[in-house]
Amino acid sequence: MLDDKKLTKELINSLSSVTNLKDLELIEIKYLGRNGVINDLLKKIKEIPVGDRKEYGKKINQLKQEIKRLLETKRLELSKKKSDKFFDSTLPGKTYPKGSLHPITYTIEKIASIFQKIGFIRVSYPEVEWEYFAFEVLNMPKDHPARDDFETFFIDAPSDKKMGKVVLTPHTSSGQVREMRRVKTPPIRMVNIVKCYRPNWDITHNPMFYQFEGLCIDRSINIAHLKGTIDYFAKEFFGEDRKIRLRPFHFQFTEPSFEIDVSCGVCGGKGVDCHVCKSGWLELAGAGMVHPEVLRAGGIDPNKYSGWAFGFGPDRCLMMKTGIDNIRILYNGDVRFLEQF
Amino acid sequence: MNIKITHNWLLEYLDTDATPYEIQKYLSLCGPSIESVTKIGNDFVYDIEVISNRIDYASLIGIAREAATILPMFGKKAKLKKDYLTYDRGIDNNSHLKLEIIDPENLCPRKLAIIMDVEIGDSPKYIKERLENCGIRSLNNLIDTTNYVMLEVGYPAHVFDYDRVKTGKIFIRKAKKGEKITTLDKKNYLLNSNDIIFDDGTGRIIDLPGIMGLDNSVVTEKTKKIIFWIETNDPKAIRRTSMRLGIRTAAASMNEKNPDSEVAKMTFLKGIELYKKIANGKIVSPLYDTAPEPEKQKMLSMKYEIFDKLIGVKIERDKINNILRNLGFEIASSSFDKFRTPRNDKQQSLSVKIPSYRKYDISIPEDLVEEVARIYGYHKLPNNLPPPANVQQPQELEKLFTITSKIKYFLKHLGLTETVNYSMISKELIEELNLNIRDHLRLANTISNEIEYMRISLLPSLYKNLKDNTGRKDIMRFFEISKVYYPKKNDLPNEVYKLGIGVNTDYFDLKGIVEVLYKELNIESDLKEKIINKDIFYLVELDLDFLIKNYQMIAPYKQINPYAVIKLDKTFTISPHITYEVIRQKAFLSKLLQKMDMVSLYENKLTLRFYYSSPNRNITEEEAKTELDRVIH
Repeated sequence: MLDDKKLTKELINSLSSVTNLKDLELIEIKYLGRNGVINDLLKKIKEIPVGDRKEYGKKINQLKQEIKRLLETKRLELSKKKSDKFFDSTLPGKTYPKGSLHPITYTIEKIASIFQKIGFIRVSYPEVEWEYFAFEVLNMPKDHPARDDFETFFIDAPSDKKMGKVVLTPHTSSGQVREMRRVKTPPIRMVNIVKCYRPNWDITHNPMFYQFEGLCIDRSINIAHLKGTIDYFAKEFFGEDRKIRLRPFHFQFTEPSFEIDVSCGVCGGKGVDCHVCKSGWLELAGAGMVHPEVLRAGGIDPNKYSGWAFGFGPDRCLMMKTGIDNIRILYNGDVRFLEQF
Repeated sequence: MNIKITHNWLLEYLDTDATPYEIQKYLSLCGPSIESVTKIGNDFVYDIEVISNRIDYASLIGIAREAATILPMFGKKAKLKKDYLTYDRGIDNNSHLKLEIIDPENLCPRKLAIIMDVEIGDSPKYIKERLENCGIRSLNNLIDTTNYVMLEVGYPAHVFDYDRVKTGKIFIRKAKKGEKITTLDKKNYLLNSNDIIFDDGTGRIIDLPGIMGLDNSVVTEKTKKIIFWIETNDPKAIRRTSMRLGIRTAAASMNEKNPDSEVAKMTFLKGIELYKKIANGKIVSPLYDTAPEPEKQKMLSMKYEIFDKLIGVKIERDKINNILRNLGFEIASSSFDKFRTPRNDKQQSLSVKIPSYRKYDISIPEDLVEEVARIYGYHKLPNNLPPPANVQQPQELEKLFTITSKIKYFLKHLGLTETVNYSMISKELIEELNLNIRDHLRLANTISNEIEYMRISLLPSLYKNLKDNTGRKDIMRFFEISKVYYPKKNDLPNEVYKLGIGVNTDYFDLKGIVEVLYKELNIESDLKEKIINKDIFYLVELDLDFLIKNYQMIAPYKQINPYAVIKLDKTFTISPHITYEVIRQKAFLSKLLQKMDMVSLYENKLTLRFYYSSPNRNITEEEAKTELDRVIH
């Protein structure tokens, strides 16, 4: 009754010889017009036995969709047909929007993913913090120089008897004891990447900067684990050829304490006449074994557990990796800087 | 703080075959960090970082002591010369002058003083050169001596002109608020009642001890008699005064780190000796030393296994003992005996006497672990990753980070520029955006008006970004995702993440960005954020928490409709009564309306396209038209 295959074949045949839109339009009218093939077929529905009409209608509908598809394909083909005019394929492509993210965003993302791979979870702790968490529990007594007006921003707010004054956290270490209390029983594998603040605004300091804290607490965690982790990070972040070294240092909340250097990428660690590094090495982080007093403050028994912590500046990592040489440009919102990334 | 010393000077105390660069390399790995070595003439200058708990090595002797322990670990010969602390203890008999030292509140626990006849002049060439190479200006033999012995032995020293002190009295007291001083560099300062000063007994202030000498009592070219002086200080008081007045001398930097009073004495004796040598110094008074009762030597006991546990490798017990001995610790007892294996390794313990110069920084077993580990060499330890552990990230944080990242990349791909601004902003900026200053947390000690208040909105910063960049770029679309800080009474503020967007294009550009972001996050909700117009800019702020809560990872599935869709266009005349939104609401009263698009807007003529269809059957054009006619004309 309805030879749809034949009709489709006929259509394909006639389309193959069409070379312009006008001819295409004629064919469209022939098939889909008021008195076109499809409408003709629809009119014939009365001649179909009642029981078969549903099936017949469905078939016509499918045919109509197929005809439309073929016509549309031909139309696109015709419209894209090259003209005889000179085609300059060297012209630039169409412009698409490409915005930018702040380079610190990529840096933080990369750092977090490097640590995620070895089972460290990313957390986030307050930027506006009690002195208690920023200093007290980190074994930094009231008269410690870091707690004075020249090293820490204080909020103009009443202080709390137990928690002390409200400060802008000068380091991510404030999150250490918070994480210990959240987890309660080790293992702890944490990275905390947040904004920190210090009253220092000059060529080499911004009053706001990012800091990145790693904390690992478990049974029998030792210095070799810290070395291994930092070495893994340096190679993942800066490159396989980089080396690290630990130098003795002092922090109130770690014992032993170290500064960690990474070999310079510019001179390859040679340090001879290098304009970037001091003697082949660049300071990367401060680190150490968590002080027993800090573990105790976090409710963790230092006789059972030990751990390490490190903190460093993603801002600095970013600058070391990219060669951005002006720290002030990071947060002053200059679009000529921002849109590069 | 950093100090500079020279290689040749160091060799007066240290016998070694290590080159300056070897010394730099090895000391940096195991002890004091030597930031640079500079060759000057036939000498080398070391620039050394002194970490805050190790003021004991802020001197030639201190560095020599470290070097003598560290260098042999690298196969280098290094020994302290036997005579490294010799000084002439002999006091001349000619002591006819007296000094009265009064310290009723015991503000300076130890006072060392002596009066000497001297001849002022230039220092010998080697002293001049060494001081200059170490970054200290050579002035004359009287001043140079104090600096020279400070660098050599490690305690800041001072010299007064005896005649200019006038009374022969040194009265130590707290300043009165408002008292004025003129320091030796002729700068004036106003004191307060926390500052500690010396007074000559008449009320005249003659020194700001531990920080800087005063103009009215320092030596001059006419000086014939001096008081050579060292006192120990309260380190907190030194830091407070020096920071407040902004006088950051080497003396202040050292004194605020609480150097050892035994070192004060050594420095003092070394100074007397040097005055005799280079200023023809003659002692004309008794030697005053008001030392408090000597402290009992501190002891520390610990189990050896703590070394193994924290260092990660087992270091031989006798090696541990040797390292500690070389650093000046005395092994009081050690249950380890290298000729016999103790039955229980865990019971082996150690007890040491702490040298005076380390008494403040060594107090717990972990401190000794550090001493042993660093000298043994961190570089010799293996690189191990911590044992694997399964730690669950709180779900809300996981969501926060993943969705934030999704939003950032989506906006970037739309062509927006991410900015990161300071969390603190100025009063002017707050007021410019019509926010209330009183709703903000204020910094009590800001260093600039630009950063005085904690943001409660990202919009002031974005507005500033747009304004600052005007002229640099034609089309600007900025966004920032950051925390804002809502004050809470007697508690920390509520820290809430916001997404702020600011554009210099137009209202609908910004609205479109927010709409498509909703679509991207599969948020099925009407926009609730208000777009603000300020100057030529448009700004909007979204609650990140709302976006996260309403985010759907995968859009809800809808069955594909197999039936025909009737498209109809219609033009409306819009007015305050007939807005797009009014039309939209009316139109969607129809159950057959699937979608509505805007086609064009010309003046107040709004053309819309309506898509009618039923999920159950084919509808006719007539049906669709009837539906459309129900919408206002």
